[in-house]
Amino acid sequence: MAAGGLLTLAIDLGPDGFWWMNLLFLVAIYAMLGLSLNLINGYAGMFSLGHHGFWAIGAYGAAWFTIQFAGTMPGPLVFILSCLFAMGVAAISGLLIGLPCLRLRGDYLAIATLGFGEIIRIAIQNSDKDVLGGSLGLAVPRVIMDVNRESKGDFRVLMVGVAFAIVVLMAWGIRNYIRSAKGRAMLAVAQDETAAGLLGINPTRSKVTAFVIASTLAGLAGAIYAHYQGNVTPLEFGFMEMVKIFLIVVLGGMGSLSGCVVAAFLLIFVEQWLAKLPPEAGFFKDWWQVEYAFILVLLMIFRPRGIFGPREISDVVRSLRRKFSRGAAGENS
Amino acid sequence: MGEFFDFFLNGLGLGAIFAFIALGYTMVYGIIKLINFAHGEFFMVGAYVGYFTLRDLDIERVDLPQPFPIMLDFLVAILFAALAAGILAVLTERLAYRPVRKAGRIAALLTAVGVSLLLQNVARQVWTANVRPFPDPKIFRTLDEVDGPAGTNLYADRDFETSDGDVVVETQLVVSQGETVDPAKRTQLEADGVEEVYERVTLSPKAVQNYVLLALLLFAPILWLLVKKTRMGKAMRAASEDADAARLMGININLVVAATFFIGAFVAGIGGVAYIATYGKVDPMIGFLPGLKAFVAAVIGGIGSIPGAILGGLILGVTESVLPWMLQKMGWDAAFAWKDAIAFAFLIVVLVVKPTGILGKPMREKV
Repeated sequence: MAAGGLLTLAIDLGPDGFWWMNLLFLVAIYAMLGLSLNLINGYAGMFSLGHHGFWAIGAYGAAWFTIQFAGTMPGPLVFILSCLFAMGVAAISGLLIGLPCLRLRGDYLAIATLGFGEIIRIAIQNSDKDVLGGSLGLAVPRVIMDVNRESKGDFRVLMVGVAFAIVVLMAWGIRNYIRSAKGRAMLAVAQDETAAGLLGINPTRSKVTAFVIASTLAGLAGAIYAHYQGNVTPLEFGFMEMVKIFLIVVLGGMGSLSGCVVAAFLLIFVEQWLAKLPPEAGFFKDWWQVEYAFILVLLMIFRPRGIFGPREISDVVRSLRRKFSRGAAGENS
Repeated sequence: MGEFFDFFLNGLGLGAIFAFIALGYTMVYGIIKLINFAHGEFFMVGAYVGYFTLRDLDIERVDLPQPFPIMLDFLVAILFAALAAGILAVLTERLAYRPVRKAGRIAALLTAVGVSLLLQNVARQVWTANVRPFPDPKIFRTLDEVDGPAGTNLYADRDFETSDGDVVVETQLVVSQGETVDPAKRTQLEADGVEEVYERVTLSPKAVQNYVLLALLLFAPILWLLVKKTRMGKAMRAASEDADAARLMGININLVVAATFFIGAFVAGIGGVAYIATYGKVDPMIGFLPGLKAFVAAVIGGIGSIPGAILGGLILGVTESVLPWMLQKMGWDAAFAWKDAIAFAFLIVVLVVKPTGILGKPMREKV
């Protein structure tokens, strides 16, 4: 199933290249999740701890769809339709969960969404083996291309490309959304719900919209993830993943889109790097999970407002350049 | 009806454990508005310390008539567990939470999650990820005291040399139930180096449940008095009302927060021993789900309220036990596999109906 001529490159990544491609792919997935969670926790001023549930819904939605329709349509079409299907399912569940929950505020909303995230995981775990695979998970048929020894590298490169294209589109879309009238209304609601209501904004609708958009985007991340992994299991979507996504949002600086991508890279890189330490590292290898947790705690203690604060990376670069040119001017005078 | 009552009592026992953990959540939240996700890990560490105390210290050897040695054994285990959890909580607060207290609630929350992850992984490294069975209390006897047919299995701890030359202690069954211990047998045991044998007391789950409930009934009023009648309790209430104003009135907020963490974790440590006695096992992950559910219990009862935490814990425990049973009776076979989902669904229903929990104060909106 060669979709287009460009997929016969037989790229040989080697073990290191393979690891890097895997890393970049995960970075893209977590960046998508971070960007979408940013919409809820960063811009809309809500506090959700259930984002991993929508990710799981998207992954399982795409997996189910692909299993049903693989072979009946051209592969890439199945891929695209399964992504749309996953987004649709995630959007509907976002609406169903959002409508009752978004009456709640602050920590209460966080706990209610956390409850939903756990319910989704438990539901998948206890699901019928023939429908969602239960605790064993589902195998996702390869539909974009045949993945074998030669095309393995091509597949990774293609998926990394697709994932990053989506990240860029997502960041661009979210930026445009928050600059639109609806987005500004959302920011106003985040600032002061009562005042925004007095200005004629419907706060509930604004919040539900943000929640549904974010769920949809998390569903898309899940779909891409399922197609890349080739299988999905309920354990992959535990509360720990939620913690990582939220950390990415906070370390990126709440409300900073480029910061989110950078934070995703840093966090996933540290994790993957520690996880693949060679056995010679001895103590450092055995204790890597402790080290990872320790780094996270240190980051939160020393950079609680994000690695760069709530600024876009372009602002950071500009202010650095200004500082340097001022320093140079100071030496001349 | 009898079966219903069993599940109800089961639920109360479970609920008491939730209540022990929920108390710490609610007290800490009341003062610094932090969902202390590491609280479940304080509970886990308490459970481990209790486990080691019960297993290794042999407090049952104390020379008193039964059942006092066993009671003393548990009391010491509870004390050590609670103290260890309390000290760990104070250290955590000082080293991790205090530096971020000014940085906003989200940073504090994520720090708490990070600490929880850290403690879990440290526990997994130090104590291994193995599930350890509960060490049954022992009744020790010297060989002279054993005479005639043995009423129960009798065990002895003996040193064995492994092939590597290490000496390990292994528990061995030396006299099985009904076997007659006559002078010949005694000589043979003495020749094997056995001087002392013990029987293992398997606790009945019902008795454990009753004791856990009793402990909660005893402890709750003490906690209530502590908060309502002492100076420290007054300072805590003042700090939870308005931390800045309390500081201006000369209250040392740092001390109050540290004391709150200590008391909360102390109670969770008690819950840790209750947990291992009830479920008969301990492993590094026990803090996660019970911790999360205890938080759910605190929210259901109305977070920030001490009676609310106890009420919420008991209600959640009973719901989690009785509701799946009822659903199973109605024909849903898999109901018990869904009990965690049922607990969370119950939480959402409570939150949607009464967002501040059963005993929570309504939030007033400031314009």
